[in-house]
Amino acid sequence: MNLFLSTLILFISTILLVFFLKKNKILIQWKNRKNDKRRIKIEDALKYLYNCEYNKLTCSLNSIAGSLSITSNEAANLIKILEEMGMIATAGESFILTAEGKRYALRVIRTHRLWEKYLADETSISETDWHSLAEIKEHKITSEEAENLSAQIGNPLFDPHGDPIPTAEGIIPRRKGIPLTQLEKGDFGKIVHLEDEPSAIYQQLVAEGLYIGQQVKLIDKNNERLHFEANNESCFLAPSFAKNVTVEMLPDLSLVKKSFKRLSDLKLGEKGVVVGISKACRGKQRRRLLDLGLVPGSVVKAEIKSVGGDPTGFNIRGALIAIRKKQSDQIFIKNESE
Amino acid sequence: MKNRENILNKANELRWEIGESLHDNLLESIYKFATEISSRVIAVDVSKKSKSFDSKLDQILTSSKFGFPIMFLLLALVFWLTIEGANIPSSLLSSFLIDSIYPQLKTFSSNIGLPFWVDGILIDGCYLAMAWVIAVMLPPMAIFFPLFTLLEDFGYLPRVAFNMDFLFKRAGAHGKQALTMAMGFGCNAAAVISTRIIDSPRERLIAIITNNFSLCNGRWPMQILIATIFIGALAPSHLAGLFSAAAVVGITLLGILLALLVSWSLSKTILKGEASAFSLELPPYRPPRILKTLYTSLIDRTIFVLWRAVVFAVPAGAMIWLVSNITFEGLSIAEWFINWANPFGLLIGLNGVILLAYIIAIPANEIVLPTILMLTVLVAGTPEIGAGSGVMFELDSAAATANVLSLGEWSLLTGVSIMLFSLMHNPCSTTIYTIYKETGSVKWTFVAAVLPLLIGFVFCFFLAQIWRLFG
Amino acid sequence: MNLNRLTHAGNQCENCPAHNIPNLKKLGINMDKVDQVIALAGNPNTGKSTVFNNLTGLKQHTGNWPGKTVTRAEGTFEYNTKRFKIVDLPGTYSLLSTSTDEEIARDFILFGQPDVTVIVADSTRLERNLNLTLQVLEITDRAILCLNLMDEAARHRISIDTKQLSKELGIPVIEAEARQKKGMNELLQSIDEIISGRYKCKPFRMNKLSPQIEHSLKQLEVLIKKEFPNMPNSRWVALRLLEGDQKIIDSIRSGEIGLIHSYNQNDLSNNIYEKNTV
Repeated sequence: MNLFLSTLILFISTILLVFFLKKNKILIQWKNRKNDKRRIKIEDALKYLYNCEYNKLTCSLNSIAGSLSITSNEAANLIKILEEMGMIATAGESFILTAEGKRYALRVIRTHRLWEKYLADETSISETDWHSLAEIKEHKITSEEAENLSAQIGNPLFDPHGDPIPTAEGIIPRRKGIPLTQLEKGDFGKIVHLEDEPSAIYQQLVAEGLYIGQQVKLIDKNNERLHFEANNESCFLAPSFAKNVTVEMLPDLSLVKKSFKRLSDLKLGEKGVVVGISKACRGKQRRRLLDLGLVPGSVVKAEIKSVGGDPTGFNIRGALIAIRKKQSDQIFIKNESE
Repeated sequence: MKNRENILNKANELRWEIGESLHDNLLESIYKFATEISSRVIAVDVSKKSKSFDSKLDQILTSSKFGFPIMFLLLALVFWLTIEGANIPSSLLSSFLIDSIYPQLKTFSSNIGLPFWVDGILIDGCYLAMAWVIAVMLPPMAIFFPLFTLLEDFGYLPRVAFNMDFLFKRAGAHGKQALTMAMGFGCNAAAVISTRIIDSPRERLIAIITNNFSLCNGRWPMQILIATIFIGALAPSHLAGLFSAAAVVGITLLGILLALLVSWSLSKTILKGEASAFSLELPPYRPPRILKTLYTSLIDRTIFVLWRAVVFAVPAGAMIWLVSNITFEGLSIAEWFINWANPFGLLIGLNGVILLAYIIAIPANEIVLPTILMLTVLVAGTPEIGAGSGVMFELDSAAATANVLSLGEWSLLTGVSIMLFSLMHNPCSTTIYTIYKETGSVKWTFVAAVLPLLIGFVFCFFLAQIWRLFG
Repeated sequence: MNLNRLTHAGNQCENCPAHNIPNLKKLGINMDKVDQVIALAGNPNTGKSTVFNNLTGLKQHTGNWPGKTVTRAEGTFEYNTKRFKIVDLPGTYSLLSTSTDEEIARDFILFGQPDVTVIVADSTRLERNLNLTLQVLEITDRAILCLNLMDEAARHRISIDTKQLSKELGIPVIEAEARQKKGMNELLQSIDEIISGRYKCKPFRMNKLSPQIEHSLKQLEVLIKKEFPNMPNSRWVALRLLEGDQKIIDSIRSGEIGLIHSYNQNDLSNNIYEKNTV
């Protein structure tokens, strides 16, 4: 009995050990750990500096230390290293990126946004986790791997938050739009960007049901809160939150969509006409729905419900297609007569 | 060269201008053309149409009252037809391959004077293993696969997936996993291939890993036999059949429950994620073409799966013969192993013989029972039953099997444990190999192979301990 | 330029197979002892494999597409003294998304340039099947629409004006009930007519997308035509570039896409002939 158990345990642990040593190269990783940490700090610092420049802010030693959560001594060290590498140059109290530093920063940002796009399109990982996972991944992927990833997901132009993805050559267009806080009462706007940092604010925005492409109407604003309408529902945000939402003004009111019903609102036997699919439905899922004929103008009829009440079978262009509520919530419809 | 890069650069520039809406616009345009064209060529006579047969049928098959009862009845019918229908051809095949051909081969080999070990490995080992697999596997597969294909062709299976989807959604899995699990009741290896219908990689992995909890063809015969001997015996004789059938159905349902539970825990841990999009076309019902289906499912599935099983069973046969005939200090390797593993086996309600049988039967689950019987006879030392050391044989009746098992000191606990362990152990090597080919990953193959085994060990251990505490 | 055309035309002949042998080899198709190659495309659940089985009988075998875990069935048959190879493409709703199945079907039609592509459609759900049909017609001009399950359409009281449909699409449209083996002879005849040049396909092309897309497409198409003058489907290639399709990007970069030749060989040789006589 003892003999058997101990042999078994020994056997299994040997297999596990060999397996993990081979797979993850633990020993080598051990040595690389220190280098990795340094690389992460360098890349994070470059990213921070780049963002400062992009948003036309000045950054100091202290703000770097603050954003990377390191002491100012460590930050000073880091700056020294970056200067030696030729990544940054000092201009009085602040720092600017050299061409080399900017290229490096853009490569990290490209990887980060590609990975977010990948997570959004190809996996079912929750929206609130994309950013933090990409924060880790951006330091691990080589630029070659990043290019392969880009090819695999169809060379996307924007990340799921609406940020443009820099090209491999480091070209990035200027962001359009204004913060939500700059809209006036009665203005219409379309959300073009949701800032994903800090993540506490981002999670609140997601929880409010905001997404890229959504149309909003500002009802009222004061110093304490903004009142606006999104998808026919009232939303309230503190200005400190609302400034992380970027919108594009919609001056032409004909572009403004009315509030629509959702496909999931159809009762059995009812018909509706598809108006569009929410931008929150992305990647493969979106393409699949489009391929099935859920394009603007298609007449859809709810035919059967499954035993559990979800999914529902819809008649779409002559075929019976079962769709879960989570997706039919993302498809907007109007009545046939409208 | 420069021109080509020019094209690509221009394309990139234009893509930034157009933005992300191109694909949406394109599909909208294509469908607009499709609508225009079809409006000019299609005419539908709506005058007489009240409610079509199809939608009436759909309403019944997916209603909350009848949906699940009809599903259970239909699946039970398929299993019943398979189990009942396979008996006669199975015994015919085994009497032909084992009772007629086997002795002739033996005579032939002694006539040409083959050394005993060549004769042993080739005829008692390889040939018998192959004969057994064909006799046991071919008839149920030849019945099950066509029946299943008929349901598929008729359009019923997508409705099953449609009805079951809410369970799988809660488990964080894909609705089509119901389809692949149903395939698994036939053959796990074929079912693993069929998970290709799931296009999200995470959910496909979940479906692959949990597929083993669908009892496959190789495991049905043993479930039924053991249930007849141990569970049926508990009931008065006129209810014995019902009791044992209920036990098998119970094990099947436990398998489905386990698959859902494991899917759920996988999607909460190592395969984290929410249930992704699920869209399933429910094709129109079509009258199935019976002969055509028989033919194609025989060619496509049955022969294909059988061939792989035979390929794996032949070396296993040689191994059984070898381990029970190579001796070391007076005991065969098999006996050494059995004595050594027995304490651990007892700890989880089984015994050393069963553990060895499961190791030998990794290539094909259907040889578990014959291997157990043969090894039991070997250890208990009653060579007059069956054909001798290391020879797989089939006993004619459940009563004779019960006799042998009583020699091995089997109890009700052993019976229940082996039924559970048969549900929860590593997949056969064909399936493991298929999983490797489909996932292309050693890691996931390892998980898929070891996870059910661990669950089986834990489950059987606690069952045995609690049983002994109260029994 | 002229030289290019001449050498190209030098290989031409009446009834020459249109398929692309080097590319087919790359796609894992053995063209020994075969004159023509037919691709079978269609949505899932349209009876595509029934049509395939009807045409090939027992002369078929299955394997995998090179480097992919997608099963491929191919078979052979003879008709009118010609030997045909028929390749069953994965069933897909579209050729535009990024699934492996769609990539395989797309690559085969684009690069393999089958002599005829047969699109099997479910007559009861024609409108949705036209999605794939129209996409195939953007890539190849030698196609046949096989309207399967006509009996089911009749049961659902749907009638289809196939003559009109054929006129609209510019390709032959065949009515079939593959499970009853009806329509198979007509399909074979039609294949033969296209191959022998007796039927000239004038496929429907989607010409009016949104103004912005059309504008971009035109700019790109000009550049592509300049670099690859013989490419028959430059508009479609331009569209794929706008969608960021990596496979097409790679094949432009490597020039591989230039190996796709025009189907209209007869037109080419006519041109040469006219030149010579003038």
